[in-house]
Amino acid sequence: MSPRAAPLARLRERGEALPLALAEAGSRYGPGLAGLLLGLGLWQLGALSYGPFILPTPFATAKAVAGILGAPEGWAIVGATVLRVIAGLSLATAIGGALGIAAGYLPLLMRLLRPWATILLGMPAIAWVILTMIWFGPTHGAVIFTVAVMTTPVIFTGAAEGVLTRDRRLDDMARGFGGSAWARFRRVAVFQIAGHLAPVFAIALALSFKVAIMSELVTNVTGIGGALALARTHLDIDQALAWVALSVTALLVLEHAAVRPLRRRLERWRALGRG
Amino acid sequence: MGTLIDTPLTLAALRFSYSGRMVLRDVSLVLRPGEMVALVGPSGCGKTTLAHIAAGTLAPDRGRVLRRYRRHGVVFQEPRLLPWATARDNIALPLTLDGVRPEEARHRAEEAAVRVALEPADLGKHPAELSGGMRQRVAIARALVVDPDFMIFDEPFGALDVVLRRRMQDIVIREVTERGLAGLFITHDLSEAARLAHRIAVMHPKGQGVLGSAVPPGRPGDRTERQLFDYVQSSLAGDPLFADLQSVDERAAPAVCGCDPIGVQRCC
Ligand SMILES: Nc1ncnc2c1ncn2[C@@H]1O[C@H](COP(=O)(O)OP(=O)(O)OP(=O)(O)O)[C@@H](O)[C@H]1O
Ligand SMILES: [Mg+2]
Repeated sequence: MSPRAAPLARLRERGEALPLALAEAGSRYGPGLAGLLLGLGLWQLGALSYGPFILPTPFATAKAVAGILGAPEGWAIVGATVLRVIAGLSLATAIGGALGIAAGYLPLLMRLLRPWATILLGMPAIAWVILTMIWFGPTHGAVIFTVAVMTTPVIFTGAAEGVLTRDRRLDDMARGFGGSAWARFRRVAVFQIAGHLAPVFAIALALSFKVAIMSELVTNVTGIGGALALARTHLDIDQALAWVALSVTALLVLEHAAVRPLRRRLERWRALGRG
Repeated sequence: MGTLIDTPLTLAALRFSYSGRMVLRDVSLVLRPGEMVALVGPSGCGKTTLAHIAAGTLAPDRGRVLRRYRRHGVVFQEPRLLPWATARDNIALPLTLDGVRPEEARHRAEEAAVRVALEPADLGKHPAELSGGMRQRVAIARALVVDPDFMIFDEPFGALDVVLRRRMQDIVIREVTERGLAGLFITHDLSEAARLAHRIAVMHPKGQGVLGSAVPPGRPGDRTERQLFDYVQSSLAGDPLFADLQSVDERAAPAVCGCDPIGVQRCC
């Protein structure tokens, strides 16, 4: 084949692949999209039967969202919540992850910490919101601390479980080849722990958003929660729904940008040899 | 005859129990330099346990393990490969554990792969994409990659069909004859033992010591099929040492260790 014919052939190949790619995308995103459209349809029906003061239409909500994002203040409010979520969750991942891994390897530490993890897991978020408001006042710190304290036990439990459920036979194998404890952890265990932690992390991320917004709402700190509080005092249902939509979108964006790629990398091998 | 100083591995009066149940008692075995010893015994007699003690992954309750070799390689009963790593990275693992630079580790892994006749195209695949035989080759290459002077094999070919088994045995025989590799080869198959070992040691069916050992005629690699067949037949028929091995074929359902690295079940 002459070099000049090559791009042409490639183009044709791509042309033939297009319907295939479309079909694949269709079967991958189609059902989710259909479910979403069904939900929007129901929402529209509800809006029509209850009226705009109880439930605005999806279109009115979209317009409110566009209004919020049309001004830089809107982005700043969303950004404030997102940054607090990132800060709180990072803190929780560092502390909960380190303690969880340590507890997985040291049964004594596990016995020491597990009751605390159980207590913290059972604490209602609103209790922390009230406590931190009294301790820190209406500040960034209060929101970040609440997010961190709510997600740390989740990450802790996930990391400890990751250590405990790892395949010990692989650990033994590595010991048989003379691997030190640190080398075995780095080369064999870490991957298994991360694989266990990834889905837990997705749950913790969603929890972080809920807790951050609740905390902002109660402490009236600038952020999506604060904006919701304002919408409540004005009884502005359009604004309220728009902020809900924005918080869900922010969560989805963060999950698809940060958590999904990581999970895909960690779990790629599981799909192998299956299909 | 060498002195005790030259013996690559000495297992002296080993005793081992799993949570109170004794599975090994007074097990002693001395290997001579450059000697590949096959250890045979019926299922559940404690061969794997002994292999783990020899490899240092289990510590005996009593007795001594004396190692005079530089470095060992181990091939476990199941391949025990990292499911998330490619064949190449699996072979390189012992080097990676040592902290060898990735470039060099890869290079040496590829050399080890050649020794077990693994295709370069397979080195980029994950264990799930490899056949059972290829997985076992990866496990052998992983043991060879550290350039060991002693090898421990624990029934490495138990799950393979006859033809593949034969090919794998030839790889082991070549390593033994060409590199003078000493080692312990655990199997419950007497003809496999007779093919590739200098000497065959027989374990007590309840792990109460090594009953004794027998030396097949010739050396590994130059025994003919005929010789091997005759040796196995006459040993099983006439030698009391091998009396308990007969029952091996109807292996009483072995206590397979159910272990799922993904699921919730704890591994043992
Ligand atoms: N992790 C364990 N915990 C408790 N008991 C065990 C464990 N591993 C093995 N055993 C028991 O110890 C005994 C010896 O087991 P081992 O695996 O060493 O036998 P084996 O000779 O290798 O058998 P096979 O030929 O079937 O591989 C068996 O009775 C087995 O049930
Ligand atoms: Mg065994």
